[in-house]
Amino acid sequence: MDKLTLFDHVFKPKVITLENGHQVLKKRSRKPLILLVLLVVMWVSFVVTGFDLDLIIKRGGQFFVILRKIFNPDFSYYKKVVNPLLDTVKMSLLGTILGCLTAFPVAILASSNINRNRIILVTIRFILSVIRSVPTLIIASIFALIFGLGTFAGMVSIAIFTLGIVSKMLFESIEVIDMGPFEAMISYGCNQFRAFWAACLPQILPTYLAQCLYCFEINIRAAAILGYVGAGGIGILISERIGWRDYNGLGTVLLSLFMLVLCIDQLSGYLRSKLS
Amino acid sequence: MIEFINASKTYPNGVKGLKNVNLTIDQGEFVAVIGLSGAGKSTLIRTVNRMHDVTGGQVIVDGVDVMTLKGKSLRKFRRKIGMIFQSFNLISRSTVIRNVLASNVPDLPWYRVLLGLYKKEQEMDALAALDKVGILEKAYTRCDQLSGGQQQRVALARTLNQKPSIILADEPVASLDPIMADVVMSDFKRINEELKITIILNIHHVDLALKYATRVIGIRSGEIVYDGPSSEVTKEILNEVYSGKEIPELAKG
Amino acid sequence: MEHILNMYNKRPNTKWIKLLVTAIIISLVIYSASGVTYKGIAAKGSDVAFGIMYGLTHPDVSIIFNFTKEGVPYLLAQTAAIAVLGTIFGAVLAIPFSFLCSKKIVGKYVAFVFQAIVLLIRTIPSVVWALVWIRVTGPGPFCGVVTQSICSIGMISKMFVTAIDDIDTGILESLDACGCTTFQKIRYGILPQLSSSFISTTIYRFDINLKDATVLGIVGAGGIGAVLQQSISSRRWTIVGAFLLSLIVAVLVIEYFSTRIRKKLARGQ
Repeated sequence: MDKLTLFDHVFKPKVITLENGHQVLKKRSRKPLILLVLLVVMWVSFVVTGFDLDLIIKRGGQFFVILRKIFNPDFSYYKKVVNPLLDTVKMSLLGTILGCLTAFPVAILASSNINRNRIILVTIRFILSVIRSVPTLIIASIFALIFGLGTFAGMVSIAIFTLGIVSKMLFESIEVIDMGPFEAMISYGCNQFRAFWAACLPQILPTYLAQCLYCFEINIRAAAILGYVGAGGIGILISERIGWRDYNGLGTVLLSLFMLVLCIDQLSGYLRSKLS
Repeated sequence: MIEFINASKTYPNGVKGLKNVNLTIDQGEFVAVIGLSGAGKSTLIRTVNRMHDVTGGQVIVDGVDVMTLKGKSLRKFRRKIGMIFQSFNLISRSTVIRNVLASNVPDLPWYRVLLGLYKKEQEMDALAALDKVGILEKAYTRCDQLSGGQQQRVALARTLNQKPSIILADEPVASLDPIMADVVMSDFKRINEELKITIILNIHHVDLALKYATRVIGIRSGEIVYDGPSSEVTKEILNEVYSGKEIPELAKG
Repeated sequence: MEHILNMYNKRPNTKWIKLLVTAIIISLVIYSASGVTYKGIAAKGSDVAFGIMYGLTHPDVSIIFNFTKEGVPYLLAQTAAIAVLGTIFGAVLAIPFSFLCSKKIVGKYVAFVFQAIVLLIRTIPSVVWALVWIRVTGPGPFCGVVTQSICSIGMISKMFVTAIDDIDTGILESLDACGCTTFQKIRYGILPQLSSSFISTTIYRFDINLKDATVLGIVGAGGIGAVLQQSISSRRWTIVGAFLLSLIVAVLVIEYFSTRIRKKLARGQ
């Protein structure tokens, strides 16, 4: 019999007695309670966000007017898109590489099977989850103030964001590798570092590279909006076009972004399938 | 020569691995250690290259008390002792040859370790080691495509490539089927005879131990209860080693 | 000796591939470095860095316990409310989408069209969607809700489709054998198989939406983001510290619970 929780003490389980006298406890379903909590939360959310269905019904058509303009891109605007788009690629590429390179030693220090020092381990993992919990756009707007407007601030924020994600994915995969070869290398007279390099690296390298590529895919999407807070790239154009209500131009920007993301996803997906 | 003088080992949780073991093993012997699981077979083998520490007494290998070694001198000492594991401990994603070459890692300059570059002579030596265990043709295949027996022979080649004077084998055939186990044991025998390498292995298959080893050490709860030539092992001795329990026929493999 | 040499000569030659890959990576780095120029730290840039440090270590505590509409609790609750509604509406909208995306149910061509739509939704960053919706609804939390309802469709339906494609159709046969109607087959044969993975995906998306709602705030879609962005640009570091710390704590706490619930769902309780 499962342990009775607080819920079961408040709502006593139903006792079912079979004809032969055996008894079974049937716990009360939690579904009504969960549903009730959910309804209350939703009602509060409706009030707090000022939900207004009328507005959507009345002005929803406006969205499709904009959408129609977006899907009718102004191709003459194309020339102005190329450079910022390449900037976005460049800064996310460099940011990804920098972030992935730093993520590697950090992830090793954050793996419980390599690093036996609990204090360092917990500290690093905590810092990593803090990094992951701050939205990229906030990080970028802080760095845009520190390094001035431009791609450098964008690159730094992407590198930090990458560090957070890749380190986490990497230490999770380091923790499940086979430590047998490591033991063998130690028995042959290697020090800890050489044993790790020779025995563990070949096991994690393909996973690590796949994770870097995956992160690059995410970063391209993330980098596209960093321009909004002044961190360079195509984001500047996006906010500028919307500000001027030039939705045809916006369409061009979004279309080229879409094509770029599609190409990079395909390429990276192909490379990742090669790695596994 | 390996000497155990009153060697004992107590684990941090109070379990006694070895109790006052006295033992001398000469260069070139083929020793099989038998006993129940948990009797201290692994502990005995692993104290020789100090993968485990003894807590009392001495273990002397070629005139050196292993407990006095540390850091660099310990690593240098370990280089002349090969070790084979039950689960092979190969890097399964790498090729066979790279696994064999890995035993060179302690001696390489750091940049070669970082880049994974080996000299041509080293690669030739590794191929020669693979040839000795008869799987030269698998040199450039990935380890995870080999059978268990082949993988254990790769591990053996990796150890040979180290040019050791002693090979320690911790349950080398426990994960293999009976036929492969026999093949791997005969490899050990051949290497022992041709290269005069001391081989100490622990093994659950009594018949294989008696067939190939020249000397058998029976161990029961940390104490040596039999030490003598394999030809003189009788049923009574085995009963004593295995705590008076009859060995079921199946367990003999 | 000869057969060893033979084997050595037969070794696969990976040197050129390795060199090529290295060359490609190095040239990519050099190429992308051309677009990213370090212009030194901006005027007062170091002040900003120290200001952030100061703010994080000396957060304005009064604002954390300020329960009016300007305080941290209300704004965090508003951000969470945006994420709650955005996730729920997104999940509900995703259900028809995911059935329409499943080749198993609607056939190849219809599935392809809807998969393209889902891909389009996923590729366009949520901030862009928010900027467009602001033109319709005006700035404020409601814009955030609408945006997230749309954006969540992309990821949620992608995960739903996988769950739908994994359905075990054997159960439908056995229900058929019991003489069930189509409605009964869906209710007792399909829903029980899908519900736990649907709920799990939705909770996971809620995690993402909570962070995303902060970002949407920056562009004017309500919640904590707008105020945070304003205090960063007006350099009121103690307030920035208070907002950032409470945001981090809130995200970490919710992430912890959502991971626990999802683990429970995966183990089947």
